[in-house]
Amino acid sequence: MSAQQSNTRRLIRQTLTIARRDFIATVFTPTFLIFLFAPLIMGSFGAIGGLGALSMKQGNDTKDRIVAIVPPAEAAAMAAIDTRLRRIFRGRDERPPALVTEAPRGDAAARARAELQAKDYDVSAVLYGPLATPTILYGAQGARTADYLAELAEATLRAERSGGSAALSRPTKQSVARTKVSNGGKNQAAFFTVFGIFFLTLLLAGQAVGTMAEERSNKVIEVLAAAVPLESVFLGKLLGMFGVAVLFVGFWGTLVSQIAAIAPPGLAAALATIGPAVGMPVYVVLFFAYFTMAYMLLGAVFLSVGAQASTMREIQMLSLPITIVQVAMFGLASVAAAQPGTAVATFAEWFPFSSPFAMAARAANRPELWPHLLALAWQLLWVGIVITIGARAFRRGVLQSGSGKFSVKALFGR
Amino acid sequence: MTSDTLAISATGLIKNFGGRRVVDGIDIAVPKGAIYGVLGPNGAGKTTTLRMLLGIIEPDGGHRTLLGHERPREASDQVGYLPEERGLYPAMKAKDAIAFLGALRGLDLKTGRKRAIDLLEAAGLGHAVDTKIRKLSKGMAQLVQLLGSVVHRPDLLVLDEPFSGLDPVNQERLEALIVAERDRGATILFSTHVMAHAERLCDRLCIIAGGKRRFEGTVADARGTLPMKAHYVPHHDGDGIAALLPADAVRDADGWRFTVPEDGAEAILKRLIDAGFGIAGLSIERPGLHEAFVRIVGAAAQDDEADSLEQAA
Repeated sequence: MSAQQSNTRRLIRQTLTIARRDFIATVFTPTFLIFLFAPLIMGSFGAIGGLGALSMKQGNDTKDRIVAIVPPAEAAAMAAIDTRLRRIFRGRDERPPALVTEAPRGDAAARARAELQAKDYDVSAVLYGPLATPTILYGAQGARTADYLAELAEATLRAERSGGSAALSRPTKQSVARTKVSNGGKNQAAFFTVFGIFFLTLLLAGQAVGTMAEERSNKVIEVLAAAVPLESVFLGKLLGMFGVAVLFVGFWGTLVSQIAAIAPPGLAAALATIGPAVGMPVYVVLFFAYFTMAYMLLGAVFLSVGAQASTMREIQMLSLPITIVQVAMFGLASVAAAQPGTAVATFAEWFPFSSPFAMAARAANRPELWPHLLALAWQLLWVGIVITIGARAFRRGVLQSGSGKFSVKALFGR
Repeated sequence: MTSDTLAISATGLIKNFGGRRVVDGIDIAVPKGAIYGVLGPNGAGKTTTLRMLLGIIEPDGGHRTLLGHERPREASDQVGYLPEERGLYPAMKAKDAIAFLGALRGLDLKTGRKRAIDLLEAAGLGHAVDTKIRKLSKGMAQLVQLLGSVVHRPDLLVLDEPFSGLDPVNQERLEALIVAERDRGATILFSTHVMAHAERLCDRLCIIAGGKRRFEGTVADARGTLPMKAHYVPHHDGDGIAALLPADAVRDADGWRFTVPEDGAEAILKRLIDAGFGIAGLSIERPGLHEAFVRIVGAAAQDDEADSLEQAA
């Protein structure tokens, strides 16, 4: 075996030794369980909040109404049309408040105004007067319901004139699934991809910032630096934390895929229209590859920056700029996902730190595969560059392996 | 000595920190199989020198080889190192910490754990095999780290101030371990400012002060830099004795102490006998390494002061 091979083998072995130590030290602790189930905790709080909001909304729904002051003959037709029209609306949020019809008595205008000021229930809009020229009064948030009341009046009048409120058209409805992914579906897939990788790196890569702090605080760094090149220490720590991230993603990925398998058929059909241009199997591989690159690239930057910090306070101070950098990369890649082929998209695909996000979006938008091989090689090169610069900055700044004067040349030179 | 017989060879090592020269042209030649001491007062540049030799930091000037390798990292698996600032992962068990340190130097973890148990038992720490580092005393943790530096059976063991922080019992254990490592065939390089350990252990040593090497040789050579000291107890005491003794003679509880002149003590003793003071007791011996160290370092400080005054002028 040549000396070069022997050195390479030693470097790999040392890197993996450090990665293994970091992985075990992170995973085999009670704190890791809290970390692993953080999304569940987050989801639980979200669900509790959502339930609260829902019950509040339901409470409000029973009190919300729209009022039509019309003669009883018209009221019956209007109620029947209202029942039919309401089927078009999907959720409670879209649906207008319940319709209440009242027979006209006395001053209709005064009554309508009184309804809007009612104490026991909330009226968002009131219609009164002949259906051909009705007057609709509405409150601050009742513009849409006023439109609905206008449509209702129109439909009721048309029904009257055509001799009844029964539906005249009897359509036959058939559900047909698309055999090809729609353009909108590709765009949606691109956005979901960028968001997915961003969310995962936001959640996971930021952890890298504090990993060197342990070695610095317990002074193990001197032992490591004596035995292992700092580049291997950095890469080992990054791989160790990446292992933790993969475990996290694997756990939640499996769980989510099982939930997706029991999703209602309507949702499955809707999801079928969203898909990547490169096809699902290749897309899954590319998603993982770009997640790896995004993690390694941003993680390497955070690790390098965090390694310069000497106290926990300094590390905590770094979390804000780190989040800003991540959000900036997300923003850039989102534009690339929404506008594939534009100059911004090309820039995002080439700029090393947004490249994994933007290229993953490209996999969803465009079918060519060769740019991905190029991009992965380019990103890998930058992982190496960032780790090398980070390790050298650490060596000069923290281990003081330099004459104390900072120079870019010294940072890149051996 | 040739490079084949040297474990470490360094010439003209220089290191500056923030414009200040902390190591100034140090030469070191450590023979294979020797116990070699790097002695010096605090801040002399010992640790910086060791870190440069090991490749933890790069020298600003000079040349060094470690076990025949110009790049110290290439010899990494054959080297054991105990830094001055001890550090272990607190959550690791003692045996795992030792195995981890071995793994960094190329020993597989399984073998490392097995050897760790043997080493801990041999060092009297058998009860602490599965104890986490955070639960060990400082001295015990230091021993664990030391065992971690030898678990892979290195050819070269570098120990930076290994005795500091240890109680006398553990200091003795450490001395025994160093000798055992030398007997196994390893070369040991250690730094200290406690002369007793160096005097007992070192085959050769160098003394560093103010970033420069001030002495290199054996313990006997170092002691040889000082003249013999005599302790004379007269048979009959009297006022005239002082006049017959060298100018540096001082009286102590039971006699006189003075420096033996270069031409020997015979002439002085003859004068004392002739004057009737007689000899009730006499011992002539070389001063210890401690005195030699103090003189060498003191002289170095005076030289440096003179140099800086000269430069200022």
